[in-house]
Amino acid sequence: MLGIIEALINGVLMGSIYGLTAVGLTLIFGVMKVINFAHGSILMVGMFSAYWFVKLTGLNPYLAIPVVVPFLFYFGYFMQSWIIRPIFEAEKDVREPITVIIVTTGIWYVLDNLSLLFFGAEYRVVKTSVTGKIFEFYDMYFLLPKIIGAGITILCAIYLYWFLKHSKMGKAIRATSLDREAASLMGIKQSKIYNIAFGMGCACCGMAACVLIPFYYVYPTVGVPFDIKAFIIVVLGGLGSIPGAIIGGIIVGIIENVGAQFMASTWTELLLYGVFLFVLLVKPSGLFGMKQDF
Amino acid sequence: MKQLLNQKPIILLISALLLGALFILPLIVTSPSLMQIIILIVLYAYFTSTWNFVGGFAGVLPLGHSAFIGIGAYTSTVLFQTFGISPWFGMIVGGLLASLVGVIIGLPTLKLRGAYFALATIAVGEGMRVLFENVKQVGPFKINGPSGISLPLMESSFWTFQFGSKATYYYIILIMLLVVLLLTYFMMNSKVGYYLAAGGEEPEAAEALGIKVSRYKLIAMAISCFLAALGGTFYAQLMLYFYPKSIMGLDLSFEIAFIALIGGRGTILGPVLGALLLRPVSELTRIYLGASLPGLHLVIFGLILIVVMRYYPKGLVEPIKKLIDRFIHKPARGKADDPSNPSARQE
Repeated sequence: MLGIIEALINGVLMGSIYGLTAVGLTLIFGVMKVINFAHGSILMVGMFSAYWFVKLTGLNPYLAIPVVVPFLFYFGYFMQSWIIRPIFEAEKDVREPITVIIVTTGIWYVLDNLSLLFFGAEYRVVKTSVTGKIFEFYDMYFLLPKIIGAGITILCAIYLYWFLKHSKMGKAIRATSLDREAASLMGIKQSKIYNIAFGMGCACCGMAACVLIPFYYVYPTVGVPFDIKAFIIVVLGGLGSIPGAIIGGIIVGIIENVGAQFMASTWTELLLYGVFLFVLLVKPSGLFGMKQDF
Repeated sequence: MKQLLNQKPIILLISALLLGALFILPLIVTSPSLMQIIILIVLYAYFTSTWNFVGGFAGVLPLGHSAFIGIGAYTSTVLFQTFGISPWFGMIVGGLLASLVGVIIGLPTLKLRGAYFALATIAVGEGMRVLFENVKQVGPFKINGPSGISLPLMESSFWTFQFGSKATYYYIILIMLLVVLLLTYFMMNSKVGYYLAAGGEEPEAAEALGIKVSRYKLIAMAISCFLAALGGTFYAQLMLYFYPKSIMGLDLSFEIAFIALIGGRGTILGPVLGALLLRPVSELTRIYLGASLPGLHLVIFGLILIVVMRYYPKGLVEPIKKLIDRFIHKPARGKADDPSNPSARQE
């Protein structure tokens, strides 16, 4: 019994980090109606930058946040404005922007394989001051960096939610996601909103990367499992919904960790795909999805 | 057929010459390794053409096509190894199975926004790979998990679908490709094709006119999955060894989608052109730079894709067609009556 509770809590901790990457994805989708298939690769870029930051300076991994997060924000910002924008504008009026989706897949392949060229395929770990520290609670053991990571993640998601609801920029972003034409008639510059939304989505990945680095391996295709999980999460929570992404993330984390108590971990992966298809069949708009968005 | 022959004589002549050249190619190329590369080009053109039924005409983006290829390969191989059933029959069984799976996936997702379909196909593709990697044996059928299946080398015969000379494989896949291209042509000019084109462009408007768009998309999906699985069986018989990552991985699914988009989605010759351009890139970089620079060919693929999508979002068929038009149709004929140009038809 204790084992299951331990797995449940571990699931919530890991799931909230999955949730943060999914928040980035859902934010970009909400504004641009484009799924950023390169999202996992952006996370990989973030993890490698956090890795090199910690490795070269030897500082606390959480001090990488003020460096890596702005770096990824501008990475996303310029990726959108240089590569994606021209293609996006060509098919702005198309209902299904397929070309943009496939271009983000192209970016995925370029980034993953560039990092394979530069850094090689080996798994890297960085030893930090919190790596391997255990937190004990009623005979249950949790990795300290996971707890810190989940805490930072939740704070970050709450801040993002507040930012979108109450700040001026947040309101502009929501207006654009509701109705592009009306928003631009109100004097909101669309292309800038797209850049910022994309940058913020990538910054979420940067945040997740920094909290992952103390207890996770870094390798060139590290983004792929996170990518696939983020896709499952956003469909589960409803495309475009931020609370949905966090809750979806926690559900996925719980399935993964509690499932591992009963079966081999490769089977839990399959269970995730099963849940995903089930949600698509039963409630395609997800838990918190808006009706008009599918 | 009448439309097909209704081209300018010079185009017919060139096409006939090209076709003839394709059939005598094995007489000129004697090196088996070069032949293998050519076979793979044709095979990838075939895979991409089957992808085209859904990705090109139904206006959605399938990104898990390798799942169906894998189903084909596994079904025929497992049936052959367990019961000695000829892969030619296994091929059909695999095709039907793949169709069934495709329809099951398509049923909920084809009604939704394209993004959902893309996500669902990725999840199904990956899920299928994980499933096959986890299963060692189902009843009497050996799956072998991640290590995959290697077929025993048999005597070269039609029944076992194993041949000593590469040329036979080449003719088989060439004929399969030509059949699929013809099917594509007929579909484009049939009612189903028109419905699909309408549904892809303006689903609401098409629905309002009484076209059950999602039903026609399902039909396209079933055809596409069936044909893809046939190609999977061919792949298994050609390589005689495959494992889940090689035949059901994301890499294969994406490579197919990349070829289609770079060549020209929704056109007959786009997939062929894409395979002709991209396969040699990947083979050459793998042969000459693969050891020192792993993954380089995928960087090149990605870059080509981004650049082509930036400047020719309809694929490279478009500029090449213009180039040919300039040479052959000197007095600029109206483009609209060219049946092989879907963009003209939509305008």
